[in-house]
Amino acid sequence: MLYALMGLGLSLITGVLNIPNFAHGALFAVGAYFLVSVVGLLGNFWLGLLVAPLGVALLGLLIEWAGVRRLYAAGHDYQLLFTFGLALILNELIIVIWGPVGLSHLPPALLRGGVDLGFTFYPKYRLFVMVMAGLLVVATWLFLEKTRYGAIMRAGIENKEMVSLLGIDIHRLFTVAFALGAYLAGIAGALTAPIRGLSPGMGVDMLGIAFVVVALGGLGNLLGAIAAGLLIGIAQAVVAAYWTEASTVVIFAVMALVLLVRPQGMFGIR
Amino acid sequence: MRAWPLILVSICVLPFIVRPAIAAEIWIFAIFGLGLNLLLGYTGLLSFGQSTFFGSAAYVAGYLLKHYAIGVFPALGIGIAVGGLSALLVGYLCVQRSGLYFIMLTFALNQLFYFIAYQWTSVTGGEDGMPGVPRPAFLGVDFRDPMAYYLFVSALFALSLWLMQRIVQSPLGKILQGIRENEVRAEAVGYHAPRFKLLAFVIGGAFSGLAGVLYAMLFGIVPLEAISFVTSGNVVFATLIGGSGSLYGPIIGSFVFIWLSESMSVVWARWPLLLGVAFIIVVLFFRGGVVEAWNRIWRFSRQRA
Amino acid sequence: MAILETESLTKSFGALTAVSAVRLRVEAGTLHSIIGPNGAGKTTLFNLLTGTFPPTSGRILFDGKDITGTPAHRIAHLGLARSFQRTNVFPAFSLLDNVWLAAFACSKSWRGLLWRRAERYLEPTERARAALADVGLAAKADQPAREISHGEQRQLELAIALAAAPRVLLLDEPAAGLSPEETRKMVALVRALKGRYTIVLIEHKMDIIMNVSDRISVMHFGSLIAEGTPQEIQRNPEVRRAYLGGVAA
Repeated sequence: MLYALMGLGLSLITGVLNIPNFAHGALFAVGAYFLVSVVGLLGNFWLGLLVAPLGVALLGLLIEWAGVRRLYAAGHDYQLLFTFGLALILNELIIVIWGPVGLSHLPPALLRGGVDLGFTFYPKYRLFVMVMAGLLVVATWLFLEKTRYGAIMRAGIENKEMVSLLGIDIHRLFTVAFALGAYLAGIAGALTAPIRGLSPGMGVDMLGIAFVVVALGGLGNLLGAIAAGLLIGIAQAVVAAYWTEASTVVIFAVMALVLLVRPQGMFGIR
Repeated sequence: MRAWPLILVSICVLPFIVRPAIAAEIWIFAIFGLGLNLLLGYTGLLSFGQSTFFGSAAYVAGYLLKHYAIGVFPALGIGIAVGGLSALLVGYLCVQRSGLYFIMLTFALNQLFYFIAYQWTSVTGGEDGMPGVPRPAFLGVDFRDPMAYYLFVSALFALSLWLMQRIVQSPLGKILQGIRENEVRAEAVGYHAPRFKLLAFVIGGAFSGLAGVLYAMLFGIVPLEAISFVTSGNVVFATLIGGSGSLYGPIIGSFVFIWLSESMSVVWARWPLLLGVAFIIVVLFFRGGVVEAWNRIWRFSRQRA
Repeated sequence: MAILETESLTKSFGALTAVSAVRLRVEAGTLHSIIGPNGAGKTTLFNLLTGTFPPTSGRILFDGKDITGTPAHRIAHLGLARSFQRTNVFPAFSLLDNVWLAAFACSKSWRGLLWRRAERYLEPTERARAALADVGLAAKADQPAREISHGEQRQLELAIALAAAPRVLLLDEPAAGLSPEETRKMVALVRALKGRYTIVLIEHKMDIIMNVSDRISVMHFGSLIAEGTPQEIQRNPEVRRAYLGGVAA
């Protein structure tokens, strides 16, 4: 489910701005670390969950304004390289601010312990994450499908010239899309923090998976990204149950196979 | 600007300015950059997964050197072959797509190889890397002597540079640039773009493979980073900082990068932050890298004179 | 003998049929023009002929051989060369390199592809220079393509097609965006090429068409509505209605 969230955010940015956001993984990591700091400051997990992703969205806004927008004229390659350099900087900054050693963070008291599902004992917090992530995905989906601005954004993915010809500020659209994508990454990170702990490298690992999700789902296909994210999440869980070491490798191998057979991804139209 | 005399002089002088090992690292990284730049500068393909070929070659050759005691030249041959072959596989999947997909695919496939290396600890040593890669002697020359190995590496670099120069001046070089300039027209005049891109990949992969083997023998270890995203990024950084528009850009980039990383890493463990900042500055203001900045200064001073 | 023929050629993009059952017969050595209002499907027809995409149905025959579905990069080797409506050159290359690339593709052998210096290939280089000379750009051979004027770029467009030493030239609005003076030069150029090549021409400017064509095909909404000599076409009432707007010739 988290993969779907990450995939959705990345697909949005990639679709609207036409650049693979290499910093997406770093934004995920920043979200997690922000959560830890905010909780440390304010002492409340729920507040942290609220504030941290907003911080990441703000960071996203800043990134878009400071760099991506400036390089619009230089072409997609340079915008991409900008996000790449930024990913590096963010990763290092995380180490500078929070230290190179991994951190761990317990779930809030309310969600500790497990739930007896009958056939297995499942951690409460993971259930919460699934539900929360699911809600977010649905909410984002509704926003994109049902609201006017969402429709504009989807149109922007299809045809940017048309949208700007219709008098809509295309640059503001980019900024909003980027911020929204960043928000999704940030909240995914914040949600993950109590599950697997934090480490500076968590961004890079997630980035690879997010790319796979977007590539499988079809570039710019938001529904596809959600579906692919879910599929990959399930696939990984299944493989992990039998052959733990190979679980991550399998994700990439599956991607390679799918792309060999269907270069546009499972649901891609481009 | 006469490049070759400058390069030959650098080769002779460098090991006296920095340690021979670092000097060797610079030329190795330059070979790596040359391979990437055939794709990036000449064909216009931003390949973010070059470490796949670099690392694979390093691992395979390293393994054979260590466990099967093969000689130096077979090791090089195997490294080049592995680099080229892995590039053939990866390239085949990637050239069918363009633009974003291509970039994302090169990255994602890199991750695939990375995780395989990470998990296959029995062979690769996983996170700890593969230590104990020897430097076998050849014809009585003991390559364990740093200077001897340095001369060997720099000779191979010179050879690689000469080869790459021939390639970019050949029709293939023009075809690849044509594909970069206008792929539609290139196809219309009769060149099957995917096939040529694949060829560029394989050649670039072979160069990367050579660099990988030399790297493994230089440090005596194949670290996991050799096949990671970080190394892929580093070679892109270095090439862009040097200037992807020129044959010699990757060489300058290698100098800058290796010098920076070696000198900064002892001062501040977080030096990649500076690298990222430097990179962003280049991307924002000096897109042609050092080569372009130099040309601008050159032209400017000519105008003044 | 018809050197280029299509039979019932159709191309649909979903619900839109851009080219509908078009039948074309071009005799060797002639200049055959294709005219029609904007959106009539002329460029799509060219795209089909040059293999940019395959047709939905129908056949294309070149020199009696079925070439339907042959992709673009192989068409060039068969002897069909094309120029584009919107200038489609290699901007960073010199004019000579622009043309050389096309000449090399169709050269007899690609030996030494990876290592021989480009200049050493005498035959393609000669053809390239000849093509530049044919269009009058020989003097500017070493200038980068992005630095020459629009009119000269249209000439370069033509030169790139010529460099392949094709048998059939497909020219898509070679005079697009040219001033009256430049148009005159382009027309003279095309007329000079007439004997040496079979030419299929898409053009908008009626005076050019009437002046140089041996035969004219008229397209409207994807279908062929008339075909014949310039005089026949001028007198054709359907054509008048669709294209010439009922103006007396």
